[in-house]
Amino acid sequence: MKLHNIGTVIAFEVRRTLTKPSFWLTSLSIPLLMAVVFALMWFSNASTIASVDAQREQVVSFTYTDASGIVDPAVAADLGGTLTTDAEGAARAVREGNAELHLDVPADPSTEPVRIVGADLGPIASGQWHVVARDLVEASAAERIGDPVLTSVLTSVDTQAELWKDGERSAGLGGVIAPALFLVLLYMAVLMLGQQMLNITVEEKENRVTEMILTTLDPRVLIIGKVVAVLLVGIIQALVLIVPVTLAGLLIPALAGGGAMATASGMEGLDLAGEPIVVDPARMLVAAGLFVGGFLLFTGLLVAIGSVMPTAKDAGSAFGAVILAMFLPLYTATLVLNDPGSAVSQFLTWFPLTSPVTALLRNAMGSLSLAEGLGVMAVLFAMAGLFLWAGVRLFRQGSISYDKRLHIAKAFRMSGRGEQA
Amino acid sequence: MSAGRDSMGRMTNTTPVIEVRDFTMRFGDRAVVDRLSFEVRAGETFGLLGANGSGKTTTVRALLGIYTPTAGRLLVHGRPFDPAADYSLGYLPEERGLYRKERVLDVMTYFGQLKGMERSHAALWSQDYLDRVGLSDQANAKLTTLSGGQQQKVQLGVTIMDDPSLLILDEPTKGFDPVNRRLLLDLIEAQRAAGATVVIITHQMEEVERLCDRVLLLKDGRAEAYGTVADVQDAYGSGIVRLHFSGTLPEADGWRPLTLERNYAELELAPDTDPQALLRRLVDAGVELRTFDASRTSMEQVFLKVYGHAPDQGVAA
Repeated sequence: MKLHNIGTVIAFEVRRTLTKPSFWLTSLSIPLLMAVVFALMWFSNASTIASVDAQREQVVSFTYTDASGIVDPAVAADLGGTLTTDAEGAARAVREGNAELHLDVPADPSTEPVRIVGADLGPIASGQWHVVARDLVEASAAERIGDPVLTSVLTSVDTQAELWKDGERSAGLGGVIAPALFLVLLYMAVLMLGQQMLNITVEEKENRVTEMILTTLDPRVLIIGKVVAVLLVGIIQALVLIVPVTLAGLLIPALAGGGAMATASGMEGLDLAGEPIVVDPARMLVAAGLFVGGFLLFTGLLVAIGSVMPTAKDAGSAFGAVILAMFLPLYTATLVLNDPGSAVSQFLTWFPLTSPVTALLRNAMGSLSLAEGLGVMAVLFAMAGLFLWAGVRLFRQGSISYDKRLHIAKAFRMSGRGEQA
Repeated sequence: MSAGRDSMGRMTNTTPVIEVRDFTMRFGDRAVVDRLSFEVRAGETFGLLGANGSGKTTTVRALLGIYTPTAGRLLVHGRPFDPAADYSLGYLPEERGLYRKERVLDVMTYFGQLKGMERSHAALWSQDYLDRVGLSDQANAKLTTLSGGQQQKVQLGVTIMDDPSLLILDEPTKGFDPVNRRLLLDLIEAQRAAGATVVIITHQMEEVERLCDRVLLLKDGRAEAYGTVADVQDAYGSGIVRLHFSGTLPEADGWRPLTLERNYAELELAPDTDPQALLRRLVDAGVELRTFDASRTSMEQVFLKVYGHAPDQGVAA
């Protein structure tokens, strides 16, 4: 196939996108928004931590009853507590505004809650009563145990795993992260570029410019040129997103180092159990192949859909179905990961529309064999080629079907004989 | 291959630029074009005529590779149309438009590049054209902000960029205002004078008579008439004489009155009747003539005879 004029198409498409202020506004708004959100979260978290620390240091005067006998009077006194036998009277004093806090420690604090009667200082500040109640019981229990190590063990135990598979040390969770990034990349690429892919062939139809274009270049060149242009724009968009984040990470080490940011963003939940991130070259290559195949497949599908639809609005409604196919494997992830050999897992692994996500997920978790990976890749590339071929064919047939949706079966039936659908 | 015209303005080169042989196109079970053959010679202005649905646009689309023909050969310069070929094509389709959200100069430059011009040359050419048609101040405006007439001018500019050696214009004046219609006809004339081959698909019979060297009349996908305008006119009527007179016309012999009023008449001549002979007969009969205008049957009348209705009353395709 001659690629006559493909450079002109790519340059025009890229240039006109990059010269639009809306592109830069949209692209820059994402890192900007992320920066604002992270900054707000950081300040909010720092403020909360400072507030909690201040509350811990502040001695609160309170009364308490102790049905369990666990509470150590000396610990209670240090925290500002005074033992009382008149629970109702102490509670009434709080209700009438004469005291701030009264606690009733139950007979069995391990199964029953500590009753708190406290002054309402607002939804945030009132939280300190819970802190006081917990500190009172926990500090008294620790005092009774009398051994700091035992006390620490009761509250937190660290673990470090050494996993083995087929006689070899397994990377475990540390081996999941790197190949799983390709899954994230696939979602980002399709979500960010999908709409543009869908509109690749619609624009010419909507503008009635198809006939003039087709006398200057081959439809395959137009489509390939536009796909390449969208990819280039996507790369630029990704750089616009990544560069500020990287710069921020380099210039503000505290952000990259975690600390308050990690706490604020909930990242402390991502516990690799002490395992380092491991990069398995074979798994990474399979992931890369699945990513490229999957991306091309969705590109081909979206181009084909765009070729059938007369307007961007009509094409947009079909985009939802594609997204649904991408997210479906996530809903069945537990089944797929626990039982990759089941019929459902196998179907999702090999059915073209669910295959990229399912295979990438299984590859990341280490339940996709190399042979399966190569097989799925072959299916993805074959289907991508088929969809692109169909997209070009349908574009040629539907390019001058300006006002109506192209009848697919009729188009294919006729295209062999060169007729109009 | 050279093309030109003699001192009378007649096309002189007979080298075919377009060759269509036994072209058939089916839409389902219906043959829209059936075994059509014709050729367009270098330097001539060729009219592709017919009622709506007669297969004109389908023929052009197949010629330009937008449709693949069911059967037959459609060649431009001896080969199937190829966008990458070294000749330049200017095509104004019936369904026309441009990238409305883009700037005028950008769109024109893009099409210039697609036609093989250097980017800088295409931009200069476009700027010059916009100056000529009074749109230089709109060069950086988005097309969607231009009026319909201004967009038509841009469309015309895109069509004639790179001085095409072959111009194919499908219903070129359709939707054009009188100013742009005039502009279009001037541009066609300029391209013609420069030696371009022009194919016009039109309903406007007046334009056919003014512009075309040869025509093809399509009816139900078949060639109904094909040849020079004069040949076609002769084939569908030998001639018309319009006269203003005083007196009484002699008995009809070799002619029949189409219109006969007290002092004005339109006479259709029989195929073997010479207008000069009729003139002599009228003078001999004592008819006092103030005007005597002999002409061929108009293309409008030819169209009427072929299709049974006026060109602008065709049925939808």
